[in-house]
Amino acid sequence: MTRRRIAFRKYRVPFLHEKSIEGHAQLLLDEWALNHPAVTEPPVPIEDILELHLGLAFSVTDLQDELGHPDVLGGIWFGDRMIKVDQSLDPTLAPNRLGRYRFTIAHEVGHWRLHRQHLRDDPSAKSLFEANGEPAFVQRSSANPPEEIQANAFAACVLMPRQMVYDGWALWRGSDAEVAVSDLQVGDYHADRQANERLAMDQFCRPLAERFEVSAEAMRYRLQKLGLLVQELQPRLF
Amino acid sequence: MADPRKVFGDLLRATRIAKGYSLRKFAEMVEVSPTYLSQVEQAKSERPPTAERVRTMAQLLGQDPDEWIALAGRIPADLTEIIKNEPQAMPALLRAAKGLTADELRKLTERIREQKKGGGKK
Repeated sequence: MTRRRIAFRKYRVPFLHEKSIEGHAQLLLDEWALNHPAVTEPPVPIEDILELHLGLAFSVTDLQDELGHPDVLGGIWFGDRMIKVDQSLDPTLAPNRLGRYRFTIAHEVGHWRLHRQHLRDDPSAKSLFEANGEPAFVQRSSANPPEEIQANAFAACVLMPRQMVYDGWALWRGSDAEVAVSDLQVGDYHADRQANERLAMDQFCRPLAERFEVSAEAMRYRLQKLGLLVQELQPRLF
Repeated sequence: MADPRKVFGDLLRATRIAKGYSLRKFAEMVEVSPTYLSQVEQAKSERPPTAERVRTMAQLLGQDPDEWIALAGRIPADLTEIIKNEPQAMPALLRAAKGLTADELRKLTERIREQKKGGGKK
């Protein structure tokens, strides 16, 4: 296979409030529920949503070789209506990467839902909508421009919907009380205390992460965002 | 002419989606990786699926296994055996039958079946 190195253009995407992104994610789940059983518990069937509801082509392939970047995880081609995930995330070959595999798919779906219409209206992005065109977005582990952050937020919201996390948390913890990092057993594997804390939090999140089929890291971010995992417990008035 | 691998790959993907199986789900059912199933669907595989695997795929998707095996560019395992057992007569029969229409072949097959039945009674 010939190696191509694609120079990715910087497309400007509009600012999106995280509430708006969460709304987009919920809308997709509601749409899915019109023709399929509603998703009431984890894991969210993102692969079914991608292929059976959105009707996008999907493949797991040697994307790192195809695009010539060693850290590519996934990409989306608007013209070909195609999402590709790098084979290093294939959960059959690497079962511990199932969460990353699903998150990468959800991230690319995020570009489809959040950014496609915007770029459609941008004359300079016309070539992205041609068949066999270049990928509109490429997800790399080493780069985080705003559109990638937005797609990550979408992925988190769609795979870990707010109410589903609250319910899952209550079922798992036996209460809806938040947990403080200061209450976790933090080891001293690293010189950096924050790195040790992250490790302890990921360890703590793992059972819930497995239920949602996401990585412990993704679940940690989500629990922090939803105020279930906090740095310190706030004194309560009552 | 279209690449026969692509014809098979497109058919496989379309049928899989119509039956409501995601790539990973169907890959699990036929005991291959999503990466490999992608290669077959995209006609990029250097190793086309074996006749037995195509048979499993066709059966899971409610399709005719012999037709799918042919579309995948494979020969059913029992045919190989049949030819090996009659290394001269069988290829001769096939060569003689080459060029007949589908209808003529069907009639010939029926006659052979009749003949075998008759032979069994004797």
